[in-house]
Amino acid sequence: MKTKKFVAVLAFLVALFFPGMAFAQTDPGVRSNTGVNAGQPLASVTASPNDLAFFQTGLAQFNEHQTVTGDNPGLGPRFNLDSCGACHSQPAPGGTSPASGIFPNIGPNPQSQVIANGVVNGSTNTIPFFVLANGPVREARFPFFFDQFGNANPNAPNGGVEDLFTVSGRSDAGSCSLQQPSFNAARAANNIIFRIPTPTFGTGLMANIDDSTLLANHAAQANNGVGISGTFNHNGNDGTISRFGWKAQNKSLMIFAGEAYNVEMGISNELFTQDRPLPGEDQLGSGLPASCLNLAGIGYPEDITHSGGSSASTVTSDVGLFNTFMQFLDQPTPSTTSPGGATSIANGRRLFSAVGCAICHTPSLTTQPSNLTAGLGSATANLFSDIEIHHMGATLADNVSQGGAGGDQFRTAPLWGLGQRIFFLHDGRCSNLLCAIEAHESNGGEATNVEAIFDQNLSPSQQQDILNFLRSL
Amino acid sequence: MHTKFSRSLVLLALSLSLLARAQGAPQSGGDFSSNPEAKKLPTGVILVKGAWSSASDSVTPLPEGGRVANNNVYSNPYLGLTYALSPDWTQKYTGPPPSDNGYYVLAQIRPADTFKGTSRGTLLIAAQDLFFTLTPAGNALELINYTKDNLIAEYKVEQPPMLVRIANRSFVRFDYGSPVAELHWHVLATQIRCHMVQFVFTSRDTKLMESLIQEMNKMSLPDEAGPISGRGGGDVPVCIKDYAGGENVMERVDPVFAERRFNPVPVRIIIDKEGKVKHIHFLSAFPDQAKVIANALFQWRFRPYLRDGKPVEVETGIMFGRAPRLATLPSTNAANE
Repeated sequence: MKTKKFVAVLAFLVALFFPGMAFAQTDPGVRSNTGVNAGQPLASVTASPNDLAFFQTGLAQFNEHQTVTGDNPGLGPRFNLDSCGACHSQPAPGGTSPASGIFPNIGPNPQSQVIANGVVNGSTNTIPFFVLANGPVREARFPFFFDQFGNANPNAPNGGVEDLFTVSGRSDAGSCSLQQPSFNAARAANNIIFRIPTPTFGTGLMANIDDSTLLANHAAQANNGVGISGTFNHNGNDGTISRFGWKAQNKSLMIFAGEAYNVEMGISNELFTQDRPLPGEDQLGSGLPASCLNLAGIGYPEDITHSGGSSASTVTSDVGLFNTFMQFLDQPTPSTTSPGGATSIANGRRLFSAVGCAICHTPSLTTQPSNLTAGLGSATANLFSDIEIHHMGATLADNVSQGGAGGDQFRTAPLWGLGQRIFFLHDGRCSNLLCAIEAHESNGGEATNVEAIFDQNLSPSQQQDILNFLRSL
Repeated sequence: MHTKFSRSLVLLALSLSLLARAQGAPQSGGDFSSNPEAKKLPTGVILVKGAWSSASDSVTPLPEGGRVANNNVYSNPYLGLTYALSPDWTQKYTGPPPSDNGYYVLAQIRPADTFKGTSRGTLLIAAQDLFFTLTPAGNALELINYTKDNLIAEYKVEQPPMLVRIANRSFVRFDYGSPVAELHWHVLATQIRCHMVQFVFTSRDTKLMESLIQEMNKMSLPDEAGPISGRGGGDVPVCIKDYAGGENVMERVDPVFAERRFNPVPVRIIIDKEGKVKHIHFLSAFPDQAKVIANALFQWRFRPYLRDGKPVEVETGIMFGRAPRLATLPSTNAANE
């Protein structure tokens, strides 16, 4: 009798809880069973020996480690890391932040290795509190300048990159002595935000979408009935739509590359021709000390076009090669079957549109004819972005203004390649898709109503289909 | 004695200063702080706002000024609208600022934590300023018809736009659904002061939605509300699209932006009976843009608008910051007089 009663209770409990357990939605995680989904050149580039040589030289330059002096000179005096490819590495060169132990196992956070592997051997740097072994790779910004009493001053917006490391103490850095920014004090004052690297796959296609296409898409989505209404960031000089970076603050890949070379590695180039001080050193102080200038001993800019080169790829500057490499990177390849199977992925794609996600995350846009390579011309860019900036509300606000984007406005993050990304959102705060989706609802955010529809109205199995679809990208 | 003491003080200060420098004293200011107990900035607050809404005075009601009060009633003085939320429904998050094409999220309503029903849903109360819409429509009815004609493939029309009475006012109702999501959208729209005001219900449960729509009958709305009426008048200004152009403008001073940002700056103004600008509402502008536009607009003079031979206040829209869009209105029912 007791056994029968126990079985009945057990059966009731199973009936009660099993369906919930069976359909509890989970992020399938980084897709690992279909190979690396990105990092290849466009087919038209592969078919052209000259273009392929350019791409491969760009790739090599992208992965090259810079030093203060020597064969690859110019690093510092302040920097975040010594190579593009170290940060933009997941799941292949050109990507985003890696993590140890997650497919394709690129390794631990390279920033945490800065001292250990000798990049700044002998230096006085300490690893900031937010650089963790398992990632993500981060740059830091202080939204506001500190005043003379050490308080963040909300009337003095800063928002510039605070480079993590200095070359001070290195044997090749001479007498240059610089202090790292006050990261711990910034944490104490709640005056620090982070950014992770944006993946660059398919960015040549993004660069080749005409403004008219973006404006037509903007108008077509305007009357959506779910609360979405974005705008564009514009280039300050010519007024056209800018599109690269977390706030779409950069007009072109060339500017993006030139600025990153200068800001992230401290290498002056033909677009950004001086060594870069911290925002406070520059705007409120006297710039870099003389002992920290021209450390490479070659004059400025440190990266130039080489008139003595013997081929196009050896004439071209590093920045030009980065630009070419990124332009020629093909868009990531989605899976039609993994994770969750073809039916679930197809359902998820339709649900993604039905609940309103696709209003901002526009599935595809068509490029204009290309003078660079056939693969970039009149092509379908499956970017899942409208390249607009949207108010994301108080939860995600970083209080950094860039161009026309305010403190809570961010470019719709392109979702191509999402299946093999480890960290999400501008600061890498989430490594689970559900966390990233949840962050879309907030006071002042445009996506709140769409997130509520996802949250309140979809069944767990429908939500799972969307997660599977996203991880198929 | 006094001189000796002063010299000692100076020497002491100099010594301390040199000592501090020798020990590498932390810098202060800019990117550096040596204060481990600094005042904390608030979390979850948008302190750097970019282009945002503002107005020339803090008294005149604005479309974005509606609130869900503690009594669970949404009221919007600008639109003259009061709407008692269903019990156990609430606004958890406020909406974004008005967009630069005149779109407002007025309220986002969802079941409260105390809600005990089995079906759930959401209600979005939104408005579209018909002066600045990107859609080729001149009134709420045309806007809803445009929506129906341009539904994405995932949606199916369940009920084409039809006129209905809600709270003794005329609305246009449009129902559509998504078979794959098993969701339904019921849209009820009317027009007030040249804004399409819409209530968008989303749920899997059409009965729940119908009961919520029934509760809309308890709303109070201005007399003007209607899918093709709703052009102000009475206690509020008459609204007229593009009134600030042509022969209506007798004096004009153009604002000169110090910084070129290329963002659209939609502005609604109220012109008084004498033809002077009485009130300016910036739907989306940087503070410096709002300042120079206000300085310019208060110098404009208009031909007073006459209705039945008497001057009345007029509300109209002007787009700054970019070239005016070409007229896209397909019909004579545009929000023009």
